Amino acid sequence: MLISLSWLKKYADLPDSITPEEIAEKLKMSTVEVEKIENKAKDLENIAVGKIIKVEKHPNADKLKVCEVDVSNEKITVVCGGSNLSEGMLVALAKIGANVRWHGEGDLIELQPTKIRGVESRGMICSSIEIGLGEMFPPKEEKEILDLSFLRKDKNSFIGLPLAKALNLDDAILEIDNKSLSHRPDLWGHYGIAREVAVLFEKKLVPYAAPKIIKGKDIKLEIKVEDQKLCPRYMAVAISGVKIVESPDWLKKSLISVGMRPINNIVDITNYVMLDLGQPMHAFDAKKLIDGGRLKIIVRRAKDEEVLKMIDGNEHKIYSSMLVIADENKPLALAGVMGGKNSEVNETTETVVFESANFDASVIRKTSVKLGLRTDASMRFEKSLDPNLCETALRRAVELALDLCPGAKVASAVEDVSDFILPVGPIKIPLDVFGKKIGVEIPAKIIIDILQRLGFEVKTNKDILSVKIPTWRATKDISVAEDLVEEVLRIYGYHRAPSQSPFFSIIPPEISGIGKLEREIKNTLVGRLNFTEAYNYSFVSLRDIEEIEDEVEKYIELDSPLSKDRPFVRRNLVINLLGNLKKNIEYCDEIRLFETGKTYLMEEPGARTSAKDDELLPRQDTWLTLVYASKKDKMPFTQARKALETIDDCLGCDFEISAEPSPKKWQHPERAAVVKKDGEEIGCVYEINPLTGEKFGLEVRIGVLELNLNKLSEKGIKAKTYSTISEYPEAVRDIAFIVKKEISHAEIFSAISGNVHLLKEIKLFDVYEGEKIGQGYKSMAYRFVFGDISKTLTAGEVDEARNKASRILEETFGAEVRR
Amino acid sequence: MESKFKKLKEEAIMALKAVKDKIDLESLENKILGRKSGELTDLMKELKDMNAEAKKAVGQIANEVKKEIESALEQKKRELSESDWQKSLAKEKIDITAPSLPPFERGHFHPNTIVQRDLEDLFSSMGFLILDGPELESEYYNFTAVNIPVDHPARDSQDSFYIKNHPNWLMRTQTSSVQVRAMQKYGAPLRMISPGKCFRNEATDVRHEHTFYQLEGVVIDENINFGHMKGVLEIVAKHLYGKDTEVRLRPKFYPFVEPGVNGEVTCFLCKGKGCRLCKETGWLEILGAGMIHPNVLREGDVDSKKYQGFAFGFGLTRLAMLKYGIDDIRLLESGDIRFLKQF
Repeated sequence: MLISLSWLKKYADLPDSITPEEIAEKLKMSTVEVEKIENKAKDLENIAVGKIIKVEKHPNADKLKVCEVDVSNEKITVVCGGSNLSEGMLVALAKIGANVRWHGEGDLIELQPTKIRGVESRGMICSSIEIGLGEMFPPKEEKEILDLSFLRKDKNSFIGLPLAKALNLDDAILEIDNKSLSHRPDLWGHYGIAREVAVLFEKKLVPYAAPKIIKGKDIKLEIKVEDQKLCPRYMAVAISGVKIVESPDWLKKSLISVGMRPINNIVDITNYVMLDLGQPMHAFDAKKLIDGGRLKIIVRRAKDEEVLKMIDGNEHKIYSSMLVIADENKPLALAGVMGGKNSEVNETTETVVFESANFDASVIRKTSVKLGLRTDASMRFEKSLDPNLCETALRRAVELALDLCPGAKVASAVEDVSDFILPVGPIKIPLDVFGKKIGVEIPAKIIIDILQRLGFEVKTNKDILSVKIPTWRATKDISVAEDLVEEVLRIYGYHRAPSQSPFFSIIPPEISGIGKLEREIKNTLVGRLNFTEAYNYSFVSLRDIEEIEDEVEKYIELDSPLSKDRPFVRRNLVINLLGNLKKNIEYCDEIRLFETGKTYLMEEPGARTSAKDDELLPRQDTWLTLVYASKKDKMPFTQARKALETIDDCLGCDFEISAEPSPKKWQHPERAAVVKKDGEEIGCVYEINPLTGEKFGLEVRIGVLELNLNKLSEKGIKAKTYSTISEYPEAVRDIAFIVKKEISHAEIFSAISGNVHLLKEIKLFDVYEGEKIGQGYKSMAYRFVFGDISKTLTAGEVDEARNKASRILEETFGAEVRR
Repeated sequence: MESKFKKLKEEAIMALKAVKDKIDLESLENKILGRKSGELTDLMKELKDMNAEAKKAVGQIANEVKKEIESALEQKKRELSESDWQKSLAKEKIDITAPSLPPFERGHFHPNTIVQRDLEDLFSSMGFLILDGPELESEYYNFTAVNIPVDHPARDSQDSFYIKNHPNWLMRTQTSSVQVRAMQKYGAPLRMISPGKCFRNEATDVRHEHTFYQLEGVVIDENINFGHMKGVLEIVAKHLYGKDTEVRLRPKFYPFVEPGVNGEVTCFLCKGKGCRLCKETGWLEILGAGMIHPNVLREGDVDSKKYQGFAFGFGLTRLAMLKYGIDDIRLLESGDIRFLKQF
């Protein structure tokens, strides 16, 4: 929203010594966000209207001219390349010190005296785009300078006048961020901002004068409001004898200054009142409403799929969720959003009906969203306007109409259908509440003064304030004591509340098990295994789900996402990590990536939707998933497993790994294992099925580890314990043997463990398959550590134990032990 | 006798001068001092046949000569050793400009993780709980519980990812959804932060991303006031950007707080003078905060007569982008290793 400073000054008694920057700063610190200050007078400093008195060819350049320009008190020589220069022309002359943008591009540059091809130039004849007036005076071609000769029509001599003054641009315009106004329906017009500014600078606010309307009798106006919840107030009055013409200069200038295009006197009046008070208005052409001598206005819900052509020329299908203004036959306007073409005011209009109404904020917002029609009116109505404004606005509009149209008169009574009660309080608030909430005592006198200047009525009873809310703040903005604390504090100044250190009990916070686990696992992966952490979306595409051959029907789906490429909510982290691999594999020989994040499972129960409701959200466990791929590694399972072992060893997880067939089609059928802890499945380690990889366009083999951190954290992690170091030496024996390929390490390990006396540790250290061994066989080598806590073993004891192990291998597995 | 010693000394010194390497030196040493037939050794042997008086006089000279020869030999030895080393060190020349090989590899945390952990550590040290909450959340916790009315624009489906066939479920739009869950679970007093993933249904470009990270914080206790909020936010700001950093609070409307503020900190790049990063204002907007609205406390079953509190939210994604000068928000969720390995 644009706010004109000179408009503001009509209502707030602000001296000229207060700069627009100061006003903007105070508003920013206490009320709303001011995005920028358009201050043309400042931008156009040192630029004056000049008259070209002589144009000569530049002695050393074909395309340049040397001009002499009269700026009243001096004559200035300027070298210029403009295409439309002529003697007698009025131009914008930038003097030394002016800020211009060369050819409308780049940064502003301060003009300096210079020599151009040997000729001294002490200024610049500007094109509109070089001085920020391109929108006002669009140049027809590149080298065209701004021709101000139209100014001569006026009697005054403009020569030498500052340009801003000559063009009536000496107003400062504040651009206010609409979003920062969403909770303040009272600030959507100049009077509201003036009220605020008057409070901030402790200046007087001029009361808003809107004389009572003296009713007419010529026309009988009938108003019927079908649903008063949706239209708490509807006021209308007919004015006859109007002549539709252009508005006077002051009115046009006011509208233009805040970016509103003038149309005609009646429409301009409605717009002006809206910009003045924040109350949108509408004017109907009465003759298009009159039906058999009756002039009846009905406020009703639209019929479904009714069609209404708007004043912007577009036809819209409208629905029963929307509100229309209609006569008995047809809709005339979309209430609170835009008027209809069929009742528009035009040059043939002689009688108008002014509408000043109040509509339900939520209906207006939904209508405007649904039709994609955001108008100045809808923007204001959806903030919940004060219904009392209707009357002030209507009075002001009628006053202006009678003023601007000499033959006009009020032709009807002022119809007013209203049903509203505003919750104006009073709010009771003990004075000490302010100090308690803010942290510093503000004297009662100041508190009361601030509230009163903002329009609150304050009564004091001992130490309790009874505060009545002004109607313009009562629609939704102010309702509880905390709201009053904010009012006082923001005017008093947030910077004046001293910062303090709160005192807390020294009870240390409970540590989240899963948070700690996640952190330690990440540290292990990044610090020890050189993995890199990726973040991915929680969403996946249909194509990706199909490519890994997962069950699409199990996926939770988003409702109308804006980016339609990933409409499903992920059930695993693998899909997006495979996408990452694909993106990176081109320029990496080896990739180690991981992510931690939530998955969303509809079929499993999660948190409650509210404390009072038994409905449960989908389960959302945090998973760790890592992928490893190397162009040189044909069996990346090993690296995935190594990551699992490293995590196990660093954190002390005691994982169990079991080979169980997986229903997941994207897993390699022979290179996949389930990870368990205390018998419960908490993850898996596998290679991606090369067929799936191919579908993803990945030729490389990929190892994957997935761990459910919620489940792992629930199981808890065992603290590491110390075991006594034997004083006696241990004996180490390596046993290598050949067995059938299908015999697994797990089988061998469990056959030996616990069955060999004195055996303290057994560790696989080599596996070999190849020609030397023979097909269907493999060679395995284990290191056996024997020891006794109480004595040194004799060679005989060690040999006996070793032989026992060998015997087990031979008898149980048919192993051929190498001696 | 005496002259014999002196002569031996002179000869030895002369011979030493001619010595070129360790082998010559060794044989010379042997020739003079050798235990069996060294020249000096032999001369010394002659001493024992002399009378006591002469023995004493000559013996003294003999010892001096011996010492001098020994020290001359020692010095020569050192000279030779030094020049030997110099020669061999010269051969050990390497290319010190070459990086260590094989190339150094390390893992990398995501920049958001780095920023998040930094704040988690700070808040933990001040006794804050670190909490997590559902990302697929109910409308109740995401909106209703935090005082966002039913017809508030934030609830529009075009701004949020609602879930198909579950009109009251959505991907949470803010970590504020954890506020009431935390109050219900832990009650008052409460000090907690909750970092996490948030979602808005919007098209992505250099500055917009439908997935981003926030860090929510809540402090509830008896007698908590606006000044305390300011104090805590200043601690965070100084932690992030140095001890001279100031915090500026301005009014901002959020339905779940009253009064609500928008928090800016002194621009760390220009120290408040104004630059491109802070759009010439000298301030960087990095947080929203406010005193918790009594309606929110009520939803969390916290007695708003007894307790009050404040809540705040930082954009973690924004903090990470500011910290590292990341100019395209989409990089954060791109999984692009060329990006990730820079942290």
